[in-house]
Amino acid sequence: MIPVVLALARRAIVGNLRRPQFLAPLVIFPTMFLAVNVGGLTSTTGLRGFPKVDGFLDFQLAGALTQSLLLGGVSTGIASALEIEGGFFDRLVASPIPRFAIVLGRLLAASLVAGIQVLFFLALGLAFGATIKGGVLGVLLILLIGMIAGIGFGAIGQAIALRAKNASTVQGIFPLVLVILFVSSAFFPRDLLSAPADSIARFNPLSYLADGLRDPIISTVSWQPVLEGLAAAVGISVVAMGLSVLALRGRLRDA
Amino acid sequence: MAAIDVRGLEREYKSGLKAVRGIDLAVEPGEVYGFLGPNGAGKTTTVRMLVTLLRPTGGSATVAGFDVATEPAKVRRRIGVALQEAALDQLMTGRELMELQATLHGIPAKQVADRADELIGRVGLSQAAERRVGTYSGGMRRRLDLAMALIHAPEVLFLDEPTTGLDPTSRSTLWDEVRRLKADGTTVFLTTQYLEEADQLADRVGIIADGLIVAEGTPAALKAEVGLPHLDVSFADCPDLSRAKELLGRFGELRPAPEGADVSVAVAKGAEEIAPVVRVLDEAGFTVASLELVEPSLDDVFAEKTGRHLEGAAEPAAAPA
Amino acid sequence: MSTVGPTAEERHALGGFERADLRRQLAVVIALVRRALNEITRVPGASIPGVLAPTIFVIGLSSVFGQADQVPGFGAVDFKTFVVPVGFLQAAGFTGAATGVNLARDIEQGWFDRLLLCPAPRLTVLAGVVASAALRCLLPVSFLFAVAMTIGVDFPGIGGLLIALLLIMGLASAFACYAVTLALRFRTQQAAPLMQMGSFVGVLFTPAYVPKELLAGWLEAVATVNPVTQVLIGVRQSFVGETSWGETWPALLAVAGLILLFGAFAARGLRRYAS
Repeated sequence: MIPVVLALARRAIVGNLRRPQFLAPLVIFPTMFLAVNVGGLTSTTGLRGFPKVDGFLDFQLAGALTQSLLLGGVSTGIASALEIEGGFFDRLVASPIPRFAIVLGRLLAASLVAGIQVLFFLALGLAFGATIKGGVLGVLLILLIGMIAGIGFGAIGQAIALRAKNASTVQGIFPLVLVILFVSSAFFPRDLLSAPADSIARFNPLSYLADGLRDPIISTVSWQPVLEGLAAAVGISVVAMGLSVLALRGRLRDA
Repeated sequence: MAAIDVRGLEREYKSGLKAVRGIDLAVEPGEVYGFLGPNGAGKTTTVRMLVTLLRPTGGSATVAGFDVATEPAKVRRRIGVALQEAALDQLMTGRELMELQATLHGIPAKQVADRADELIGRVGLSQAAERRVGTYSGGMRRRLDLAMALIHAPEVLFLDEPTTGLDPTSRSTLWDEVRRLKADGTTVFLTTQYLEEADQLADRVGIIADGLIVAEGTPAALKAEVGLPHLDVSFADCPDLSRAKELLGRFGELRPAPEGADVSVAVAKGAEEIAPVVRVLDEAGFTVASLELVEPSLDDVFAEKTGRHLEGAAEPAAAPA
Repeated sequence: MSTVGPTAEERHALGGFERADLRRQLAVVIALVRRALNEITRVPGASIPGVLAPTIFVIGLSSVFGQADQVPGFGAVDFKTFVVPVGFLQAAGFTGAATGVNLARDIEQGWFDRLLLCPAPRLTVLAGVVASAALRCLLPVSFLFAVAMTIGVDFPGIGGLLIALLLIMGLASAFACYAVTLALRFRTQQAAPLMQMGSFVGVLFTPAYVPKELLAGWLEAVATVNPVTQVLIGVRQSFVGETSWGETWPALLAVAGLILLFGAFAARGLRRYAS
C-alpha cells in the first residue's frame, strides 16, 4: 500500500507544481492580508493585555500561516473535485488500490505543501525583521504542527469534494473558512477579542493551532501552547480523515 | 457583386502557425457554399475571419459587399452566424434569448417580441419557448441557435458544422430549414465534416486542407473528376471470365476488380446501364450472384486531393435523401 | 431566378445601429444588465457567498481587531463603524472581480463570440458588462448596510448615503473594467485570483483599519498615492462625521479617474480581442 500512496502523492505534487497559478494564491492572499494587518495595526501592540512581542509582524505570522494552511485545504478539495469531475477518480476507485490509499496519497502531498507554506512564512518574517525566539527547535515544532494541520485541512477539503463532486461548490466554502478563522485567536490576542469572537475562540481548535504555531516565534518554546497546538492539529486530522473515509464509502455506495 | 469574395486570405498566429495560407473563393448571392475539411484544416479560422471575429493577416475578404477588416460593423449588420461552439445561456428561456439577440441586433423594441415569436415558430420551438435552454436537447439548441442567427434577416448566413453530433431527425429538420433559406434567396456559407451534408445542400463545394483550397466545384463535377461510376459484378458459378470481360468491355473501360467481385467496369451513365448489362450477361448464360453500382463520393474526391479521408465519411447516411 | 424572400432593403430595415440611435444602444445595455442579473435570481445559491462575504469580513474584522479603536489617536469612533465603509468598497471589489470572472467564463463557453457578432458598437457592449457590476454590487452593499444598522452603526443621513452609493457603484465599475481587461487578455477563469487580487490590494492598502496617521510608514506612503484612499474617505465621511464637499470632490475625482483609466484599458482589450 505504501508505494501506491507515494505514487499518488507524487502525482498530486507534480500536478501542483505544473499549475503554479493554483498554488500561488495559497501564499499570496495571506501575505497581502498580513501586510495590511501589520501596516494598519502596528500600533495595537501597545494595548493593555497584548502579550510582549517585538512587533506586530512577529505576532501576525502565525495567523497568516494558519490562513494559508486553511486555503491549502480548500485547494486540496478543489483538486480532488476536479479529479472527480474529470473521471480520473473513478479510474482509481475501479482499480485494486486500497480505498484508504486513495485518500492518503493526496493528503501526503497536502502535508508537503504545508511544509513549504511554513518555511515560506518563516522566511518572509525573518526577511522583514521578525525573530524566531524558539530557535531551531522552535522551527521544527512549527513544521511538525503545520504539516499535521496540512493533512487535517486537506482531509476536510477532500471530504467536502467527495460529497459535493464539483469544484465550484468546494470553492464556495471559502467564505466559511474565513468565518471560522475570524472567530479564533489567530489574528489577535484572545483577551482582546470582541463579541462574538471572544466567546467562540475559546472552543475553536484554530485558536489553539494558531497559538501553538505562534509560541515558538514570540518566545522560547513553552510546552503548554505547543502541545495544545499539536493536539489541535492531530485532532483535526483524525476527525477529518474519518469524515473523508466515510465520504468515500458514501460515494462508492452511490455509484 | 459576389456575396462573399475572398482573395489571398491568410492568417498567421503569433506562434508562427499559418492556419490559412492564401485562399481565394467567391460565393454568389443566393448560393449555398459547402466548405469541407477535417478538423485543423483551417476551416474554423477562415470562418472566424469572414464573420469579423478574427483579423486576417494577409489578403482580403468582402462579405455582403463590405471589407471584413475595415468595415466590420457593416459586415456584422448583414450576416447571421451560428457557430458550432457558441454557447446559449442555459439559465435563460428560449424566448428571452431570442429577445436578447433581437435587442443586440438593434431591432426596435416594438418589433422585438413579434420577430422573436416568428422565428421561434419557424424552427418549431413554440412549445418550448418558455422553458430554460438548459432543458433543451442538442437538436433544439441548434434550431434555437439558427433562429437567433436569422433574427435580423441576414443576407449571408454562416453555419459552422450545424449538424455535428445531431440525431438523424434533427439533422433533416435543419437541412429542410437551410433549403428554405436558399429558396428565400439567402446566401449560405456552410462548413461541415459530413460529405453527405455538402452533397445534399451545397450548390458548390470547396475543400480545404492544410490552409489551402485543394478542390472546388459542384458536387457532381467534383465527383466526375475522380472517376466514373462503375459496376462490380460477381458470378454464381465459375464461368469463362475472359468471355464475361469481353461482354462487359463493350459498356466501358474495364477496371481491376475489387475483392469479392469478378469483373469491374466503368459505366458513364451509372444506374441507367444496369439493366442492359444484366440483359447481356443473362443472354450469354451467366448467372449473376451480385451486382453493385459504385458511385464516387466526395470522400473519394477528398482522398484524391489530400491523400486523407474525411472524418465522419464512414458514417452511414444519416437522413432520408 | 425569382426569390420569394425579403429584398435587400427589407432585410436592411430590420435592425442595426447606423443612425447612432442612442435608444437602441441603451436597450443593448439594459438587455446585458438583465442577463447578468438573471444569474442572481435563477441561481440564488451561487450568489450567496458574494453577498455575504463583505459582511462576514466586516463582522470578522470588528470582532477580531475591535480593540484597535482604543489605540491613542484613533478618535472617538468605534472600530466597526470605521470598517463598515471598507466592507462597502470590498463589495465593489468582489463584484468587479466576479464580473471579470463571468466574462472569462462567457469567453470560454463561446457566448462572448455571440456578443461580438452583434452590430452594436463595442463600447455599448462594454458599457452593458460594466453597468451590470455597478448594479450587482448593490446587493452585498444593501445586506451589509442592513446588518450594520442592526449592530449599532449610526445612520449616515440620506445625503451621505447617496454620495456613498454613487462612489461605491463607480468603484465597482472601475474594478469591473480592470477585471474585464484581464479576462480579455487571458480568456480563462483561471485568471480569477489576479482579478480578486487587484481589488483586494486596492481596497485594503488604504487607511482601512485605522486613520492614516496610525499606519506604519510604508503603508501610509502607499495609502497616500492609492486613489482608492480618497474613495474610502468619501464613503466613510458620513458614517464617522459630517459630509463635506472637501472630502466628496476628491473621491468623485478619484472614481472618475479610475473609471477612465481602466475603461480605456478594457476598451483597448476589446479592440485587440478580435485581432
